[in-house]
Amino acid sequence: MSSNTSRRDFLSAAISAGLALPVLGASSAMGQQHSAKSAASPVKLDYRTLGRTGLKVTTVGMGCMITSDPSVVARAADLGINYFDTARGYQHGNNERMVGAALGAKRKQIVLSTKSEAPNKEELQKQLETSLRELNTDYIDIWFLHAKDNVADVTDELIEVQQRAKKEGKIRFAGVSTHKPLQLLPWMAQKGVFDVALTVYNFTMDASMDQAVEVAAKAGIGVVGMKVMAGGMHQQKPGDPLYKKLTQDGAMLSALKWVINRPNITTTIPSMTDMYQLDENLRAMGNPLSASDEKLLTAHLDAIRPLYCRLCGQCDGDCQKGLPVADVLRFLTYADGYGQFALGRERFLELSAEHRAVRCGDCADCTVKCPHGVQVARRMARAQELFA
Amino acid sequence: MKIAGLLLTVLLPAGMACAQNALDCRIAPGWEASGPIRQYTAENLFDYKDGAAEGYLSYGFARMSSIDCKSGSDTLTIDLSEMNDADAAYGLFTSNRDSQLPIAKIGMAGQIQPQSASFAKGKYYVEIVEVAANAEADHTALMKAFATGIEQRLEGRETLPEALLWFPKENLDTVRLVPESVLGLKLLKRGYVAKYSQGQAFVVLEATPESAAEVMKKLRERFSGATSAQIGDEAFQAKAPYLDGICVFRKGRYLAGYANLPDAQQAASLAAKLAARLP
Repeated sequence: MSSNTSRRDFLSAAISAGLALPVLGASSAMGQQHSAKSAASPVKLDYRTLGRTGLKVTTVGMGCMITSDPSVVARAADLGINYFDTARGYQHGNNERMVGAALGAKRKQIVLSTKSEAPNKEELQKQLETSLRELNTDYIDIWFLHAKDNVADVTDELIEVQQRAKKEGKIRFAGVSTHKPLQLLPWMAQKGVFDVALTVYNFTMDASMDQAVEVAAKAGIGVVGMKVMAGGMHQQKPGDPLYKKLTQDGAMLSALKWVINRPNITTTIPSMTDMYQLDENLRAMGNPLSASDEKLLTAHLDAIRPLYCRLCGQCDGDCQKGLPVADVLRFLTYADGYGQFALGRERFLELSAEHRAVRCGDCADCTVKCPHGVQVARRMARAQELFA
Repeated sequence: MKIAGLLLTVLLPAGMACAQNALDCRIAPGWEASGPIRQYTAENLFDYKDGAAEGYLSYGFARMSSIDCKSGSDTLTIDLSEMNDADAAYGLFTSNRDSQLPIAKIGMAGQIQPQSASFAKGKYYVEIVEVAANAEADHTALMKAFATGIEQRLEGRETLPEALLWFPKENLDTVRLVPESVLGLKLLKRGYVAKYSQGQAFVVLEATPESAAEVMKKLRERFSGATSAQIGDEAFQAKAPYLDGICVFRKGRYLAGYANLPDAQQAASLAAKLAARLP
């Protein structure tokens, strides 16, 4: 798939051709498949190598953030999921304690990641010791600096603590989690001190996201996807026609299958609160993205078509005020599509003062038309209303 | 500024506008606001709380007001969340509290730590978090002053949820409200879970006895080898992976029972005692 091809076109073309997608179905070529021994039913497990760490992890991991009952974590481990993610801050520390207790004797057979949002080295060091104690382990496989959305927030002193912990054997690998991958991933690739990146990633994202992920992967960074449905669900509210369809059983599975079939994503950490979700998510492994999966995801993209600029570069006409239309629409997508208002506004404010002052409502007619149906003038006006 | 304040008050629901008056940094001498009060709803809570927003939403979040306070180089943030009801506020508190630290009598319940405090009163859940320059600093007294000061300005229930009285006290460790999938079972949507030194008890309230009976039927089908027990309106006991010895009974629209005990008979014995305490 060309990185310039829009995701919706890609999905639509595959559906109209009635084909399973060759690239999307590439997991078995990239990874390995095994059947887990399970008391319930055999589960096909896909494994991939997490970048330079060399760790072999299942393509579906477990995000434990909102898991309440340890039995779900324990069963996930028994069924063969071998990547588990928590954070110091989840449930104010109770989550780490629950995960540590639930994994128990299986600790050494799984890859365990946790995170710290500590802003300085003293607090970071303290939180590491707390995480080790609460998780009942003497090492953490991957320790993320949590929710770092600006390069400036990943300070040298935080990196120093990570590297020292690595030398001391308290952590095996260092990572950063981010909701602003376009900024962070290329920087991490250049920095050379990080082994793993945890990033938002889902089917609504544009080609620039794939490029950022590819840059990181080529630098040897293992990329873990989170919020595999969040960007898509964010658009839909209860009462919207597509809401029920997207929240029905199976929609989450389609979105998850889409992500784990992407070439540079090693694993994912969907949240799971019960055995049913666990069983459903396990089905994402060993099953290619089907035509019905694609149809569901495409339906969602159709619903947001008037809103969603896919940065195809095919705008018809130029803005008479000289506005970078595609850029502004992208900033709006950050806010409306991914729930990243701050990022959208930050980008908007980087425009020149002259461009920031333009109000599209002042023009009698918009000279820019979108071949894919994005309502350019209306969306630009919304961006100005939202950010300016 | 006055116009902005008036506008804010008009736009907010009456209850929250009153509650917002509790967000006063001057509760502690030497402290003052370092910015305006910020408002969050379910629509933009992710912008502030990131993934942790899911926890709030799962418990029944309505809206949040937040303010930053400062005193010299020290800063703290107060988050005042309005939940759908008092049980939801208490539930979020039980989810976030440190189960290894004692509970303080602030509102329904609270917890004071060296650099943070939280409590629930009525439908309000309050968190106070200090960003101290020194991670080892002990500001317990300051946290208590803010927590009690805010609590006095809030209206609402101070008595614990009735559900807490249902669970036998002997060997009781913690009780919390689980917002979904009690025992990791999707069928048990939302309920209280009491953790004991051995095993755990649960109580789930369905809308009607009929819907409870329907859930009970599906539950029983899930546990192969289950045998009937004489508790409440109907009951079964079983031995199951991950839940070990388990007994589930229905009493009216309550679904309750014990799990994670060495054998099903022991679970049934304890379940009978729990049934006697339910309304």
